[in-house]
Amino acid sequence: MSSMFSWDFAIGHFPELLKVVPVTLLIAVVSMLLGLVFGLLIALCRIYRVPVLNKLAALYVSFIRGTPMLVQLYVFLYGVPALLEALNNKWGWNLSSDNISPLIFALTAYTINSAAYQSEVVRAALNAIDMSQMEAAYSVGMTTTQSIIRIILPQALVVALPNLANIFIGLIKATSLAFAVKVIDIMAVAKIVSAEGYRFMEMYLGAAIIYWVICFALERLFAVMEKKLRRYESKMV
Amino acid sequence: MIEIKAIHKAFGKNEVLKGVDVKVNKGEVVVILGPSGSGKTTLLRCINFLEKADDGELTIGETNIKFKHAAKKDILKVRRQTAMVFQTYNLFNNKTALENVMEGLITARNVPRNEAEKLSLKMLDKVGLSDKYNAYPNQLSGGQQQRVGIARALALNPEVILFDEPTSALDPELVGEVLTVMKNVAKEGMTMIVVTHEMSFANEIASRVIFMDGGVVVEEGTPHEIFNHPKEERTKLFLRRIVPDWNYVI
Repeated sequence: MSSMFSWDFAIGHFPELLKVVPVTLLIAVVSMLLGLVFGLLIALCRIYRVPVLNKLAALYVSFIRGTPMLVQLYVFLYGVPALLEALNNKWGWNLSSDNISPLIFALTAYTINSAAYQSEVVRAALNAIDMSQMEAAYSVGMTTTQSIIRIILPQALVVALPNLANIFIGLIKATSLAFAVKVIDIMAVAKIVSAEGYRFMEMYLGAAIIYWVICFALERLFAVMEKKLRRYESKMV
Repeated sequence: MIEIKAIHKAFGKNEVLKGVDVKVNKGEVVVILGPSGSGKTTLLRCINFLEKADDGELTIGETNIKFKHAAKKDILKVRRQTAMVFQTYNLFNNKTALENVMEGLITARNVPRNEAEKLSLKMLDKVGLSDKYNAYPNQLSGGQQQRVGIARALALNPEVILFDEPTSALDPELVGEVLTVMKNVAKEGMTMIVVTHEMSFANEIASRVIFMDGGVVVEEGTPHEIFNHPKEERTKLFLRRIVPDWNYVI
């Protein structure tokens, strides 16, 4: 009995998992929102071929898309202190990364990651909007900025929504790697508790259920959002 | 008063406008006719800088601009003195009919919202679409969308409205309703430059007809002169080919 599944253990320690759900959500939501802002800026740099920034952006997106999230987290974890040390030596500063909380590390890394993916999605969506919408905006006397904000962006965001929803749901699951930078999230708690109690399946099953419920709720939420935002579109079917 | 002098425009090696002069007085309705590739649409689009002409100058009202190296703020100025009605309507898809008409007023001309709304409803009424003010473009027929497009242009009270083949994308039944609106706009004294293939419209409403071919103005005159007594061979050739809806008045 003891080596099979223990319901008592699973249910007994489930609340500990629930306690850190806000951490997971925090990382995902903040990274997504900040990532969207930066992603939009990067997309605009790419579309308008801003000198220097255009190539830099392409390089950065390529790197993020070409490396696993875990590797990026480790690069961050070990790279930032090394970078600060180099800067300290060069310019005599006294910066230390010891006081930066793991959460900040995680938020930064996940924001940088999600911004790269979102920039591609936004770029595709902006390009998908017909030039004639822009011309109409110009013809009534709007500036480029006004046209983009009032006409193009709202339409582009609707086009981008399914992909952005995908990225967000992926981000929820990607946060499971945050323990690599010492953040206490769902996976970290699962690992700790299961290691202490020698009961692994119970905790990981619990974690799996939590992730699934969150993602399922998000799926439904985005479906409703999509339906509402698409009301002005002509239907294919 | 709108005047274009010596406008040149080439797309790569293809010279589309080879030096065209056009003068339009206030209240005139000038119709530009010509075969495809004659440069008539390019000419129109150069006026509000949707295409950037290579050379020449433009005068609208008090504003005078050289096309070459035109400054951004001058372009903006011209765009705020003109309005365009497009062949593909180009309504803002994410806005209702009313919002479409209001958008330019609120965003580009800083008109306060309730004033813009009142004016826009009036314009929609003028084109016969007051009951559709809350409809999105995808809920409207082509003719209705085009009429909203005309209302949008009217609301801006521009120096001139540029019509780029406004009825070419409409099926024949809907062409009539749009032409009726355009006739009313003309009767109210709006300055209009219309690129179209609708000959009877040109004959009825135009103060002047310009015939373009191969990037130059071949002939211009009153509708009567152009349709009944064309002087140039190219004009005669063109008219002979495109007169299916011609009504002969004996």
